[in-house]
Order: sequence, then structure tokens, then C-alpha cells
Amino acid sequence: MSENLDLTPEAAVRAVMQDILGLDADQVSAFTADTELFGALPELDSMAVAGLLTELEDRLDIMIEDDEVDGELFETFGNLVAFAEMKAAE
Amino acid sequence: MSAALEYARYEFEGNDELCLKAGSHHPKNILLIPPLFDEMNRMRRMLLDVMRLLDAKGIGSALPDLPGTNESLFPQEHASLTIWRQALLACSAQLPLPLYVASFRGGCLIDDFTEDARQWRFSAVKGQMLLRTMMRTRIASDKEAGLSTNMAQLSAEAGQGQVNLAGNSIGSALFSQLEEAVASPSPDVRATQLESSTRAADTKLPGSALWLRAEPDDDLLLSAAIADDLASWVSA
Repeated sequence: MSENLDLTPEAAVRAVMQDILGLDADQVSAFTADTELFGALPELDSMAVAGLLTELEDRLDIMIEDDEVDGELFETFGNLVAFAEMKAAE
Repeated sequence: MSAALEYARYEFEGNDELCLKAGSHHPKNILLIPPLFDEMNRMRRMLLDVMRLLDAKGIGSALPDLPGTNESLFPQEHASLTIWRQALLACSAQLPLPLYVASFRGGCLIDDFTEDARQWRFSAVKGQMLLRTMMRTRIASDKEAGLSTNMAQLSAEAGQGQVNLAGNSIGSALFSQLEEAVASPSPDVRATQLESSTRAADTKLPGSALWLRAEPDDDLLLSAAIADDLASWVSA
């Protein structure tokens, strides 16, 4: 059972990106499916990615396995949202 | 915010542990339980700002090092939630009664070290979440070194004695305690969350999730909101 109120996967990904990057809501709302993440955003290092995955697990009440995580997942904002939507629907 | 911090100590198992204090001469004092592991580093500046703001409001505060963390010489691999609760009990004996305890993130997992305290919590986190983040960090750094590691292997390694996760030596006791640890349910606790959180809370505070940042930072909006809420809580 999730203790969280309803939150769409996309809203959860946006909220976590906002927290990790220290941006305001307007800046994160400008992210599109094509926005590049890993490599384009220096704040998004491997430790930040670790925190991001755990936060998504918590906020969406999902479990992400080791072998589901690869570099492609963090290439774009769209990839990450699609992954979160797929996991939330499982 | 120029109020001086006092580098006080408390004794635990023969070691002198650091306990930062601000405004200890005030009649009311709050014991602050810091976040655990790397989250503590990323939130420490914010917590020190809270201590100075509380002092300016006529409220004292104390921020102990948990054994095996920060400046402590206690062997980190011997630390456990049990050890940390015992240390908090020893440290809290220095503070005036009634005892007020404000805990942050993983610190909320050990604020049940006594039944004789009023509790305030900020963004309580499950122990399992802390472990998973640290295991992922270890897996990522292993991968950069050409090694393939998974969480099951790390968990098994922890069971055999200790495991190094993101710069922390986690002993088997601490690892297994964290797997199950949640902040203890308590009817009297005042639970706070960030405004951006969707979790239930007695109040939501403005500011940012400093524990997710790549680098330590301050957040004066958050530290002021925490100090204000703590001040009205101890005055209630």
C-alpha cells in the first residue's frame, strides 16, 4: 500500500528532477520528451541517479531491479517518463 | 546569524563524541537527530542554520555525532541502530527536561530511544530506501571499474560481516536493521514534509530536498521554516 496520494508517473519524474537539480517548477515544466539528461546535466552524476531511482520507487510505490537500469534510460526525459509509466502500470 | 556554536561533548562507551550546541543556556533545548550517511553531509549546513535561528528565538539545541559518523572515532562497522539509540540516550541526559527531539530523514528511525520525549519529524525515510540508494551508488562505481555487482550480492556480503556502500562500512547488524526500519508509529509525533511532497503531514514546509543534491548546500527558506515550526511546537 502506498502512503502517497495519487501522482502520475510523469509528475513524479518532474518532481524528483526538480529536487535533484535544484530547479524551480517553471524550469522543470519546460522539460520535453527530447530533453537530454545524463551527460547534458552535470548535477546528474551516478550518485544522483541512485537517489533518483530510489525516490521514484518510493513516490510511485514500485520496485526497480538492477537489470532494468541501463544508460539508455537516462538519455532523455522522455525515456525516463516512459520507464516510470511502464513500471507504475505493472 | 552570528550566534556562536559550542563544541560540546558527550561520553559513549569510553569515547568522547562531539555534540554541537547553540544557546544551551536557554530554558528549553531541542535534541536534533541528523540524517544518516551521506544525507547528513548534504543537510548539515541547513541544520546549523536552524540551530542559530533557534538560538535567536531563545531556544537551545544540540546536534550530536552518532557513533561512527562525522568526527566520531567509534568503528563505523560496529555501529547499529541500537548503538545509536543508546548514544542518543547518553547525550540527551545533558539536556533539560522535558525532552524535545527533532529528527530529520533517517534520524527519524532512532528517535524512539526514549519514551519520555516529544517528537518532531522532518521527511522521515525508510531504512530500506537509504540502503537501496547506497547499494545503487556502489553498483554504479563498480560498473565504472568494470565490475558487475548486484543488490543480492551486496546483501549477502553484508550478512557475512560488513559491506562497503558509498564510502560507508555497514556491519551486518546495521544492514539487517535498516532493511526493516521505519519511523516508529506514535500518536503524539508532529510530522512535517516538504511542500513538494505528496505524503501526509501535520504541516508542509517550503524549501528543497537537499538530500537529493549532488553537493551540500544551504536553504535559508527551509531552515527558517523549520526553526519557526520548531519554535511554535516547543511553545505549544
